Amino acid sequence: MINPFKPAGWFSAPHPLLRKNKEFFNSFDQNRPLTEYTFVVCDTELTGLNKKKDELISIGAVMIRDLQIDLSSMFHHFIRPQNLDATRATLVHRITPEQLENAQSAEEIMPKFVEYIHGSLLVGHYLPLDMHFLNKATKRVMGGTLSNPGVDTMRMAQGYKRVQLGHYHEHNPREISYSLDDLGVEYNLPLFKPHDALEDALQTAYLFLFFIKKFRKGGLVTLKDIFQSGRVGSLRY
Amino acid sequence: MSQNDDIHRVAPEMAIAFFREILPFNELDDDTLIDISRHCRVDFFPKGTRIFTAGETEITHLHLIQRGGVKAFIEDEHGEVTLKDFRGEGAYIGALAIIRGTPANLNIETVEDTFCFLLPSEIFTKLVEQQPSFAHYYLKSFSEKIVNTAYNELRHHKVSARSGDDLYLFSVRVGDLVKTLRKVSAKSSIQAAAATMAEYRVGSLLVHDVQDEEKIIGIITDRDLRAKVVAAGLDYNLPVEHIMTGPVQTVLSQSLCFDVLLKMMSTSIHHLAVERGGRVIGVVTSHDIMLLQGHSPYYLFKEIRGQQQISGLYVLAQKIPEVIRGLIKEGAKAGNITQMIAILNDHILERMLTLLEEELGKPPVSYCWLLMGSEGRREQTFKTDQDNAILYADPANEEEKKAAETYFKEFATRAIEHLVNCGYPLCPGEIMAINPKWCQPLSVWKGYFSRWISAPDPTELLHATIFFDFRSGFGDHLLAKRLRQHLNEQAKSQDIFLFHLARQCMSTRTPLSFFKNFIVDKDGEHKNALDIKRQGLTPYVNFARVLALSHGINETNTLARLKALHDSEFLSRELWEAANDAYELQMQQRLIHQLAQIEEGVLPDNHINPEQLSALERRMLKDAFAVIERLYSVLDKKFPVA
Repeated sequence: MINPFKPAGWFSAPHPLLRKNKEFFNSFDQNRPLTEYTFVVCDTELTGLNKKKDELISIGAVMIRDLQIDLSSMFHHFIRPQNLDATRATLVHRITPEQLENAQSAEEIMPKFVEYIHGSLLVGHYLPLDMHFLNKATKRVMGGTLSNPGVDTMRMAQGYKRVQLGHYHEHNPREISYSLDDLGVEYNLPLFKPHDALEDALQTAYLFLFFIKKFRKGGLVTLKDIFQSGRVGSLRY
Repeated sequence: MSQNDDIHRVAPEMAIAFFREILPFNELDDDTLIDISRHCRVDFFPKGTRIFTAGETEITHLHLIQRGGVKAFIEDEHGEVTLKDFRGEGAYIGALAIIRGTPANLNIETVEDTFCFLLPSEIFTKLVEQQPSFAHYYLKSFSEKIVNTAYNELRHHKVSARSGDDLYLFSVRVGDLVKTLRKVSAKSSIQAAAATMAEYRVGSLLVHDVQDEEKIIGIITDRDLRAKVVAAGLDYNLPVEHIMTGPVQTVLSQSLCFDVLLKMMSTSIHHLAVERGGRVIGVVTSHDIMLLQGHSPYYLFKEIRGQQQISGLYVLAQKIPEVIRGLIKEGAKAGNITQMIAILNDHILERMLTLLEEELGKPPVSYCWLLMGSEGRREQTFKTDQDNAILYADPANEEEKKAAETYFKEFATRAIEHLVNCGYPLCPGEIMAINPKWCQPLSVWKGYFSRWISAPDPTELLHATIFFDFRSGFGDHLLAKRLRQHLNEQAKSQDIFLFHLARQCMSTRTPLSFFKNFIVDKDGEHKNALDIKRQGLTPYVNFARVLALSHGINETNTLARLKALHDSEFLSRELWEAANDAYELQMQQRLIHQLAQIEEGVLPDNHINPEQLSALERRMLKDAFAVIERLYSVLDKKFPVA
């Protein structure tokens, strides 16, 4: 993918928005109460799961402020992939090829997204996958990666289950499903249409709200508590 | 498309879908809904979270429950907790406090993991100011608009589009419908035939052979007279054979009405002779069969009045539900419907007892057929038990007394049997004229009431309440009037009696609210069925009875009693209106519930499953429960415990 003759930013300095983002998180205080952070819960749709070849085709995200989902600022964009032929995933995503042809390119969308998530913690269900493709895109079009710390709701689910089931019960982890849909059903959450980036982001946001407030009721009140508890989430992805 | 979905333009579909489903937001247009949705937040409260604290929490957002449920309660200074409400999905929290600009008036705590939409109070306040439906919904329980919406909803969603619109056509045989045979000789003049038709008020005559009366050779109808005689200027003195249609088309008496109607429709012949055992026993017309489907109360009414045989009333009485169904569909309200049921039942009774008197001869003394309980209050729905009695004039001597006893015993026995055949089940408590205890002269009846009133034994009183709703169903109304006068004079002065009656009324526990598919009472107890009669309607009936008796009001109908109480200023206009609406709406609910059961072929009952109630119905019922509390507090003030 990298064209040595046309360094699209590989050697140049990262985009100012990325630099600003990085500076913000360099002096990031993890000890404040949870309500003081903003979180962006996001989900991406991809052309496929091949980390090298595949690309982003859609980003959906919702903002959580004061530990409440803020329906006034949601983010939903389709992205025209570089390789439009490879849009096999459209079969799953309900995104039509026309929608992708008419969509804006990553060059236009990614700065908007970086601006949108500025100063927020990222939340996703199995976030590492989303981060890989988001960073791949920002690297290509903005010359750098995201510095936002992240929280993975799948890890939160694993942590919650451990507390819920206790250590007395030996259980086979493989028997437990951590899919977004199954967790939604298990915890009796309002359910959303799957395979749409925004709907999945909302589903993840509900799940996140569920866990974080359950944890908070259990005494974890700062972001650091959530991170340090280890069992429930992670800064690393 | 993608150009449009800018950050601030993404419409939160799920929020819009939520608002579309709940009152009163469902009345807003899409643009407003989108705008409202964009201003919302979603919050999650784990089970056991205190959301509001009464007198403390300043409410910044209207909370609308998307998933889960909460309880509302108050706590006095001694820590005594009183449950006020349970609210589930689609319900709101905090509206009243926002509108009044006060802190929360109730404690709110989640009883399940709960997700809420949070609508900023400024936006909510604006909606209340700008949308009349919002003010109505949040401020007035029984506003006209909401009541009307509730009726429409009941009508459209609960009265099913009839699947078997020809139900009777498939169950009634034509032999059951046939009219008494009227016939003339073929040589009779047209004029004589017309005179016969006029005399018997029939639209057709069978024509028999001059020699053999049993041999039917033709039929003449009103139409023949019109078309072949009057219009054609034919001589009236010609024999009818000139204009008759013959031979007559016949059907067997055991044919189903449906088949007969088919034959009529396919041949365009609307008068058919009915044959039984090779003999023509009468005529059946398309009109007779149409009446079977009779949605029209008037036709039924006419049919009842014209009935010459008691057994003929059996079929007519069975048609009452069908007439009522038509009325409900046309939008009649419970108050009118129950009156119509009472009128039709009264006419069946009147016709039956008149014919019975013809059978048994004149009674030795004048009498009055009393109706008790719901019949006495003109509040029957479908097929309520018989509750009746006979009140007769005090006999002048021993001989007359004997004669009266013998006569009314026989009279009652036959009447009750006929009523059973009409589909009015026997009263399990044997409060029927057939019971010698309830077939007595005026002096004995006066004695009964005096005893109930002066020495009220609570248990006995419980069983006697339905007697206090008596009215005259047939006969000498003056007797009933004199008994009522006696009762009123006695009741007004007996505080103990009224006190017991009032306390008995208040002992019926009212439900609090609906939660999910349960009905919840004050102790938080859940039940999965609402007994709309016992929990919903009876408290109103009891309330109206106590106050009517204590103020000497003669009415027995609950709505009429409530109105009379208001007219004589014993009940505030506001409370009267609320009680009237709440009572009538519940009656409607009950009628429709029972109608649906009848149509399903199930015995009608009073148990309503909350699962089948819409949000609006739940809301209306809940408000109706709240009115009961207010009525009780009126009683509590008037009849305080020492």
